[in-house]
Amino acid sequence: MSAVVVRAEGLRRHFRGDGEPVRAVDGVDLVVEQGEAVSIMGPSGCGKSTLLHLLGGLERPDAGTLIVGDQRVDRLSEASWARLRRRTIGFVFQAFHLVDQLTAIENVELPALLVGTSRRAARRRATELLERLGVADRAGHLPDRLSGGQLQRVALGRALINEPLLVLADEPTGNLDSQATGEILQLFAELRDTHQTLVLVTHDPRVAATAERLLSMRDGTIVEDTRLDGGLPRQTLLAQLAGWEA
Amino acid sequence: MGAGRLVVGLAWRNVRHRPWQALLLLLALSVATTTITLTMALVDVSGRSWERVSQSTNGFHVGAGAEISPDMSPAQLERVRAELARLGDAPGVVAVGGPWRQAQVDAEIHGVPLRLRVQVRDPGSAAVDQPLVTAGHWLDDREGVVLEDGFAAAASLQPGDTITIAGQRVAVRGAALTVSLGPYPTDQPAWVWISAATAARLGTALDEGGYELDLRLADPDQAESFAAAHPEVGDTWQESKSEAVADIEDLAAVFGILAVFVVVLTIGTAVILVAGRMAAQIRQVGTLKAVGVTPGQVTCVLLVEYLAVALLATAVGLAVGGLLTPPLARVTRVLSVYGAQTPPITWPRAATAFAATTAVVVLATVRPALRGVRRSTLRSLASNTRPPHRPGRLSHAITRLPLPLPVWLGLRGANRRRGRFLANTLGLTVGITLLITAVALRTGVDTLRQKGLPPYEPDPISLAASIANQARASSLGFTVAALLIALALINATVAAVFAAHDHARNHAIMRTVGATPAQTVTAFLVAQLTSCLLACGLGIPLGIAFYESSIRGGVLDPIGLSALTYVATILAALALYALISAIPARLLARRPITPQLAYE
Repeated sequence: MSAVVVRAEGLRRHFRGDGEPVRAVDGVDLVVEQGEAVSIMGPSGCGKSTLLHLLGGLERPDAGTLIVGDQRVDRLSEASWARLRRRTIGFVFQAFHLVDQLTAIENVELPALLVGTSRRAARRRATELLERLGVADRAGHLPDRLSGGQLQRVALGRALINEPLLVLADEPTGNLDSQATGEILQLFAELRDTHQTLVLVTHDPRVAATAERLLSMRDGTIVEDTRLDGGLPRQTLLAQLAGWEA
Repeated sequence: MGAGRLVVGLAWRNVRHRPWQALLLLLALSVATTTITLTMALVDVSGRSWERVSQSTNGFHVGAGAEISPDMSPAQLERVRAELARLGDAPGVVAVGGPWRQAQVDAEIHGVPLRLRVQVRDPGSAAVDQPLVTAGHWLDDREGVVLEDGFAAAASLQPGDTITIAGQRVAVRGAALTVSLGPYPTDQPAWVWISAATAARLGTALDEGGYELDLRLADPDQAESFAAAHPEVGDTWQESKSEAVADIEDLAAVFGILAVFVVVLTIGTAVILVAGRMAAQIRQVGTLKAVGVTPGQVTCVLLVEYLAVALLATAVGLAVGGLLTPPLARVTRVLSVYGAQTPPITWPRAATAFAATTAVVVLATVRPALRGVRRSTLRSLASNTRPPHRPGRLSHAITRLPLPLPVWLGLRGANRRRGRFLANTLGLTVGITLLITAVALRTGVDTLRQKGLPPYEPDPISLAASIANQARASSLGFTVAALLIALALINATVAAVFAAHDHARNHAIMRTVGATPAQTVTAFLVAQLTSCLLACGLGIPLGIAFYESSIRGGVLDPIGLSALTYVATILAALALYALISAIPARLLARRPITPQLAYE
């Protein structure tokens, strides 16, 4: 039996506005095992991004317990979460979110420097990653000078540099054209093959198909938990799910 | 017409949407226009005050004198007097005052021995140079003395008091002023006017002195040529006026330098405010362009918005500057004597103040406005921030330095917006300059008080008067410095708040990859304190230079601050600015990450 990387029980996050509170995440139970690639799909506003942010400590739960690795984290301070993230969690965002004053390679090496890796070692590791991701020639450029696909490769390199326990990806192809989407899909498939634990949120059935497990969300809860490598053909199931987008 | 209304309407909505930013800009511009107005008004009011007193006293155009000696017989004295009086018959002379007997005598006031210059006057009104009474009344047939106004104030003498002149006690009848005799303590020994009856009692004490004759000419502009033609003429009204306004011109020169500081500070504040507003308005600019508003119209909207603030600031500056001129002008003895009044607002003064604020606004607005409107509509709609394009050599150099990570990130952050970094540094430099000037001024005044009698101050009253004048000037200096330091603090706060917001997204991103809030705050403080440290390096020598130029010709010593004072100033400035910067940075670091990322 594989080790559990994420265990959430009764996870809840409500947002208070002018009217009724929005139940973004409403009592989610979830277990993600090491080496698993999990996709989360669902209609807009169903709470899938909020769930991902809760798993990465970008949002705090109102209730429930959350364990990452062997550590209970739902009550961690901001600084403790930061220290946990730098070693354990890699994030990939739809809008890339690179530090605009740092070059591509400086963005990639930043998490390594934060954990105390020497400048030389961090630079060597970042260079290797950028070569592997096919953007080594853009290493010295600022994010403003990179295309969407290049930005997402750099963001992926940044997420992977500390060999995290868990990679969280929020709509990683949402801002990309079809060619760049194809390239990123290939990278995620490679990640899955290396047994990197991966949780990704997406609207795109093709992205979801790179995972081996699909969680369907509606109104802040997980309504379906499906293994994609058994039962119905993967593409058929995803075509049905894609109907949500209509 | 429609487009104009649209532009004005959008500009008005922008002001209403962020009123506190508009208020800050208004405040900064108002201080600038106030200082400019004060500078121009001080020069103007000094000249007008002298002219007002000159008119009230039938002021002289030329003054002539003749000396006498104790061994002269009465007949000889009369001959000297008559010879001088004949100058009144010279061509071009339209009125004559005198000749008046005058001499320097020993006196005693409140037990303090000192020298006085006495002038014997008639009870009636003189055709030229009849002193303007400011307290009590003029001389009559009885014995008595009228004191020069500045001396009366310095010695705290009032009508009804008595003073001792050449061993004789004489009643003080009043105080008066005139443009022909210099005010005390600038002009020493002090002048007093005595009646003929008093002069008779003083007897031989007046034997060593002379006669003074004051004349008015048909053409005042001929005063210098008249003086050249008559060797007995000593003074002209132009020389008298020039000496009288010399003090205020020095003050105006200091204000001129302060006006430059204020303009620099205001440009700094305006650049940061406008750039910050532009960053917040980029998406709106994109929306306007998307719905068909031309880039030119968008620029007009921004210019109209800031020019309206500039116009309002000009009005505020002219009004406040006009009100502040008399109390500030009274700081000098000269204008206290000549009585400063609120100067009328003149078109040239209003135009200069408006031109200065307009220049500040245009300088601060045009570049970011044009950059904003040139940005592609799609990019403007997609993002509010303007990312840097190239890392630059400085960034590469910083990267090579073996620095701790937060320091490295902070220096890279400081290099991110060079224009704002420069504006912030300039603003802080002005603040440090004024801080050093104020500390030096305080030390200089304290030293003067402790040191006591300068060799040229013959008596305690004149010393007290000089120190009082210096203290008034110092108080003015402290007040103005405090105002400008307050403006520099506003500027620093504005800079820190906008910089914190500008860096917030990058700091949120750093937190997603594992930077703690403390690390991002430290990085931000490094970025901000770099400009503060640079400002200390520039501001301290500038402060020394400004102080030295301000005290030139005065009684204060050159700057004598200890090394510890400079170190303390630097540490205090860094600590204060760190505090100012840390507050917005910490507040933003406490916010959840997701909303800050969602801003994009």
